[in-house]
Amino acid sequence: MPILPLHVRRMAASSGLRLRRSASARLLAVSLAGLATSAWADETGDKEFFVQKIQPILNDHCTKCHSHEANKMKGGLVVDSISGLTTGGDSGPAVVPGDPEKSLLIEAIRYHNDDLQMPPKGKKLADADIALLTEWVKRGAVWPETAGKTATRGASKITDEDRKWWSFQPLARPTVPRIEGDTWSRNDLDPFILTRLQKEELQPAPPASRAALLRRLYFNLIGLPPSPEAVQAFDADTSETAVEKVVDQLLADPRYGEHWAVYWLDLVRYAESDGYRIDDYRPQAWRYRDYVIRAFNEDKPYNRFVAEQLAGDEIAGNDPDARTATGYLRHWIYEYNNRDVITQWTNILNDITDTTSDVFLGLGLQCARCHDHKFDPILQKDYYRLQAFFAPLLPRDDLKLATPEQEATYREQLASWEAKTAELRAQIEVIEAPHREKAAEGAITKFPPETQELIRKPVAERTPYEHQLAELAYRQVTYEYDRLVNRMKGPDKDKLVALYKQLGTFDKEKPAPLPEVLAVSDVGPKAPPVTIPRKAALGEIEPGFLTLLDEKPAEIPDPEGNSTGRRKALAEWLTQPENPLTSRVMVNRMWQYHFGRGLVSTSSDFGKLGETPSHPELLDWLARRFVEEGWSLKKLHRQILLSATYQQAAQNPMAEIARVKDPENRLLWRANTRRLEAEQIRDAILATTGELETASGGAGVDFTQPRRTVYTKVIRNTRDPLLEVFDGADRFASASQRNTTTTPTQSLLMINSPWSQQRATAFAQLLKKDASSSDPQAMVTDAFWKAYAREPSQAERDGAQAFLERQASLVSLKQEEPKAAPFVGEKMPFRDGRAALLTPKSTQERLSIPANTLFPTEDFTVEAFVMLKSVSEGADVRTIVSQWSGKKGHPGWSLGVTGKGSRYKPQTLVLQLSGDQAWTPQDPVEPLFSGLHLELGKPYYVGVTVDLDETSEKGVTFYAKDLSNDDEPIQTVQLKHSVTSGIRSEAPLVIGGRDEAGKHLFDGLIDDVRISRVPLPQSQLLVDREGTSEHTVGYWRFEAEPGVYRDSTSRGGDIAAAMIQAPKMDPTTSAWVDFCQVILNSNEFLYVD
Amino acid sequence: MPDDSIFNPCGRQEKVFNRRDFLARAGGGFGALALAHLLQGTAAGNTLLEEKRSLNSPLLPRKPHFAPKAKSVIFLFMEGGPSQMDLLDPKPKLNELAGQPLPDSFGKVITAMGEARSPLLASKRSWKQHGESGLWMSDWLPHTASCADDLAVIRSCVADGINHSAGVCQMNTGSILAGRPSLGSWVSYGLGTENQNLPGFVVIQDNASTVVNGPRNWGSGFMPAVYQGTRIQGSSEPIPHLNTPDGITQEQHRGKLDFLNQLNREHAATRMQSELEARIASYELAFRMQAEAPEAVDLTKETDATRSLYGLDEKETAPFGTMCLLGRRLVERGVRFVQLYHGSGSKWDAHDNIEQNHSKLCKQMDQPVAGLLKDLKSRGLLDSTLVIWGGEFGRTPMSEKGNGRDHNPTGFTMWMAGGGVKGGQTIGSTDELGLHAVEDRLHVHDLHATILWLMGLDNMDLVYNYKGRPERPTLNEGDAYRKIAGL
Repeated sequence: MPILPLHVRRMAASSGLRLRRSASARLLAVSLAGLATSAWADETGDKEFFVQKIQPILNDHCTKCHSHEANKMKGGLVVDSISGLTTGGDSGPAVVPGDPEKSLLIEAIRYHNDDLQMPPKGKKLADADIALLTEWVKRGAVWPETAGKTATRGASKITDEDRKWWSFQPLARPTVPRIEGDTWSRNDLDPFILTRLQKEELQPAPPASRAALLRRLYFNLIGLPPSPEAVQAFDADTSETAVEKVVDQLLADPRYGEHWAVYWLDLVRYAESDGYRIDDYRPQAWRYRDYVIRAFNEDKPYNRFVAEQLAGDEIAGNDPDARTATGYLRHWIYEYNNRDVITQWTNILNDITDTTSDVFLGLGLQCARCHDHKFDPILQKDYYRLQAFFAPLLPRDDLKLATPEQEATYREQLASWEAKTAELRAQIEVIEAPHREKAAEGAITKFPPETQELIRKPVAERTPYEHQLAELAYRQVTYEYDRLVNRMKGPDKDKLVALYKQLGTFDKEKPAPLPEVLAVSDVGPKAPPVTIPRKAALGEIEPGFLTLLDEKPAEIPDPEGNSTGRRKALAEWLTQPENPLTSRVMVNRMWQYHFGRGLVSTSSDFGKLGETPSHPELLDWLARRFVEEGWSLKKLHRQILLSATYQQAAQNPMAEIARVKDPENRLLWRANTRRLEAEQIRDAILATTGELETASGGAGVDFTQPRRTVYTKVIRNTRDPLLEVFDGADRFASASQRNTTTTPTQSLLMINSPWSQQRATAFAQLLKKDASSSDPQAMVTDAFWKAYAREPSQAERDGAQAFLERQASLVSLKQEEPKAAPFVGEKMPFRDGRAALLTPKSTQERLSIPANTLFPTEDFTVEAFVMLKSVSEGADVRTIVSQWSGKKGHPGWSLGVTGKGSRYKPQTLVLQLSGDQAWTPQDPVEPLFSGLHLELGKPYYVGVTVDLDETSEKGVTFYAKDLSNDDEPIQTVQLKHSVTSGIRSEAPLVIGGRDEAGKHLFDGLIDDVRISRVPLPQSQLLVDREGTSEHTVGYWRFEAEPGVYRDSTSRGGDIAAAMIQAPKMDPTTSAWVDFCQVILNSNEFLYVD
Repeated sequence: MPDDSIFNPCGRQEKVFNRRDFLARAGGGFGALALAHLLQGTAAGNTLLEEKRSLNSPLLPRKPHFAPKAKSVIFLFMEGGPSQMDLLDPKPKLNELAGQPLPDSFGKVITAMGEARSPLLASKRSWKQHGESGLWMSDWLPHTASCADDLAVIRSCVADGINHSAGVCQMNTGSILAGRPSLGSWVSYGLGTENQNLPGFVVIQDNASTVVNGPRNWGSGFMPAVYQGTRIQGSSEPIPHLNTPDGITQEQHRGKLDFLNQLNREHAATRMQSELEARIASYELAFRMQAEAPEAVDLTKETDATRSLYGLDEKETAPFGTMCLLGRRLVERGVRFVQLYHGSGSKWDAHDNIEQNHSKLCKQMDQPVAGLLKDLKSRGLLDSTLVIWGGEFGRTPMSEKGNGRDHNPTGFTMWMAGGGVKGGQTIGSTDELGLHAVEDRLHVHDLHATILWLMGLDNMDLVYNYKGRPERPTLNEGDAYRKIAGL
């Protein structure tokens, strides 16, 4: 292959990032300046060639064995500088500039000489790489001064050029440009934009229409569409301050914080689950989310916002807000059973370091974790200097949200309760202690010996670092404690349950627990030492800032109390008005969230691989004002929103020319038409259909609830399908920008999913409800107002009406009998496919299968996968499966879960048997309480086998298995029973209830119900053996195959039509639903100008 | 995400629609086209053609970095970690030392369940050499053994995660920590896919438990969602929401799409952004997918011979056999990357009673896998299809609970076949007990680099720029093991 074309191809095909950036920058430069000269001046070309092409090859294939950094000079050769290469090693000069044929390096990589082959052991370079190196030597082996040594920099290696990099410069004090005859600018921001546009002989777009502007403002500020009334009120306000009034009104709207918090939550990778296999829910995490919403709504000064999150405990002690804010330092992923605590703790600290540099410094430091940054003047040492601020961290779950007074009151009340219950609790302790000890031993011995030693070491003897590790490891011990009672069985368990029951009678006197929160403190006043991995010889790394900005270690005041004060020092440094990064980074983010792109388009990368600012003076001017105006985000919003720049239309009459000069609209010659973000799409749909609930705050809810998306649970491994396909952030790492993907899977979800169907139906119902007449044109108009915030044209009205008529005619052709309500299915976490969603008082509250002669008459096994959303407040049982009328004296059986009013204990798996030989005349139904506790929101396999005439403990066996945790063994409980015959019922088999309306209903998900006519041995249970056997008499799986209501065995019978029939939908209504769905799918709905 | 290959097949992701508008509509477009020509080294006409086609899909096929050996991949993921010393890596010494603790010479070992000190557990298998190449396989793999000469058995695989979550995450994404794109996403990003009416990266699993970590295993991480894997099922609705809802006729559905198209065209007319065009096209694409996907998963047209080759006529082998057959059908139809999970939900995780556990799982898997290899071969597809077999790690020579084995990422076995792989070879080795890989250690990064290389992609040249970092599929590490192709 000829060398040059290869070079070109590789440039286009390979790492490309520099090329891409320079290419687009050049594109801009070329087109803007109207120059046609080549930008590849030789010098620049050689340098770029070296940095992009040659240096990576040397780094990747040579420096491991031939560099100072690796401390390896095999054959006496180092390849980390040109002198190293030209001096060469034992065999002589490796490179003769200009002469590849005389260069041993080239000979070696060509593999022509059997005795000289590099890289060794058959790891021959790709032909392309060989060609590149040859080309480089041929061109004179140019090694630019500034390229530095390969992959290594010392403090002295921060060059003057590095220091001149724009983002490290102090904030400038630009003056607002004066432009003669400027009638366009509305505030001081605009002349900056106009100057640039004029320079390129471009003109800004005319102002957006009022309707478009209002819609833009609403989505931008509160993330929701304006109501028709809001549009009309805005239209009616002809005063000059109309826009300003709306802006102020929206900034004061509590929904503002709900929208803007999402951006911050993306940045700090906020989630409510652990993110590993078990992905446990973090029930307290939401308090941080509400803190962020509050901070935006209250316009908390950004410097304070930063400080609270990094060092709330050090700057504000017990202040509940500051304590909640430190949740920022708790959003890392956590693996509950990782026995390698050293690695896990390292990962946690790395995660905090990475996130902090991304979020607050706008610099990606990750590269420097393993080596000096190859492009930016960031030393490996800088990574650990930053990490050293966090090295003393101790995650804390025991700190509560309470004032000292509240805490005192609480303690007082608790002491009184403790006094009254001392004896009971002592009895409980006697039973539990040995079990706890055993559980602890079990957990501890799974660790490597060294870690076991740490855990057993008295706290006072541990070093700070040892204490951190021990505490982290000990979480695995308390994890076992939490499950203690659940895993016990036999007489101890029964005694315990009774004792807890008794203890419960004192609950009224027990103070309400203080609110819990995910927080941090330091491990103590002394920090554990930080060293660079594998370079401990360099000594301890003191906390410090980027060497380029401040070479000295950070000044940390003497520790106060039990904290090192390190994080406080970091917060103070970051929020100094002179810090060149903090304010620029945040102002730029805010710009991005208004325009879709920042003045620096790489908003978390202000380094050399990022873009440079399109309007550097404006960026500094805004940053300076931001600081001067008290770091107020709302003032910054106003500045931007009230500008002529922001208020431009999406269409510019001179677009044809502007597109050529500035295809990416970096100069802002018009507004960008932008797709709504995933949360906005979901929220806008729910708002438009009138379903959105306005409640704010509180623990996260399931995404099936019509709450704003910010309030839905963020479970890392189980996400809202809508967020998944519309590029929601994954919340594993800091995300500063969202992708905008267009895929057929989005379209399928939006046009076919039951969720989308339901929203369209709700929208149609709303239109009907709000209609003053049955005039379709009026309803179309209303739909346009609700969805698009504008009046439709006559042509649009006509088009809609034609569609409605055509659809109605299509529907009426196939209209049949009224149908059963559609099956409502949902995915159960840790299970595949669909489960039945059973909800009391819904169209799907239970599923009924007519009685059939194969159903159990004596022995049986009933099994299912269940996830409870709630238990009843009273004594009602959440029935999983039954064949029973529920009436005393009627035979049958019923498997369910006890409610809060249970005489046993709530959330316990229970089997009720009602047979001939009634248990006692007073209580003719025998309840068998398994003692197995089911947590809400967790998926379980549950099963029970009944050997009816077996009166020993082998008679009834319960099984339960937590599906979210593989390591959790299946729990088994055996019980005696007295009902030994006559359970045969003529009642239908009911899933999620009994053969009686409105009582003992299930609430949650049920999947794969299987009934067998024998007590199955454990090895044949559904949890391990899916499918059917000759004993199976019914197996309902709720899948499309063989049909959601069909029995997979074709023996037990199909599920009868659901209990409540769907209202008959006439052709006209059906056509309206179609119309509404199209509207909700349309680009005008999903995009904002 | 629009296609951004105009300038660079693997470059930074940007809002390229503007640039494309620019190319497509530039009045005085000469300079721009010339520049595009310069940068890409292709004829300007092709660029425009590509431009036009890419409006329909960001997943159109792209040129690899060099001539590929494999066009598509079927990754048979044995989830939970199969035991190397009971399947493909015989260790006579292990049986000799059975019952004794691991000799001190093996150094410090951290295992998931703390079994470092437990006695060594003998393998109960009988071993034989198979094929002309004489590859060793245990009696648990009688069918796979009949394909011995097609396999390159890698006995020296190394990973970093000691638990399933980290292990499965790394085998998919290269990192034990969540958040990175999966290998299938990287391949989709680098190569696109051949059939635009089917997803390019497809995942199927064999039972109703969730694969460890769930869908993020096939997620696209920081890359656009368009590159993520699509879970399909061999049912009447293979892709989520593929079917029009119950009671909606095709005419009604078409009517909705037509009306939507009409509204969207009016909306796009004054805005001139190709992202809007792409969204219009995405509904058409979805419509075509609705037509094509059900056919792709419809096995009724397969002959009885084919069905029994995959074991569809036996209860134990039918589920995974069905998946393997689906895998072949998808590859045949141009799907780029297929991942088939066997033992979803860590079923291979034999902490206790490995005999029972592995007997059952091998029985389920062995015949379908061999059937797949034979079927691909007879259809001439094996040459272009890389088949990969393995789990997230292997198992320890030490026992657990007396008759099981703990997790072992420090030395385990995988195999590859087809797609340019030279069959009948054994690569690397573990120590005498099968605990650590010693010769030709291939870390997950090396394995990924090798897979990419076979597909014509250079792991260091496949770059996605994210937050200022040039991200690569193998985290800047890993070398392709070229000897696997006999080089």
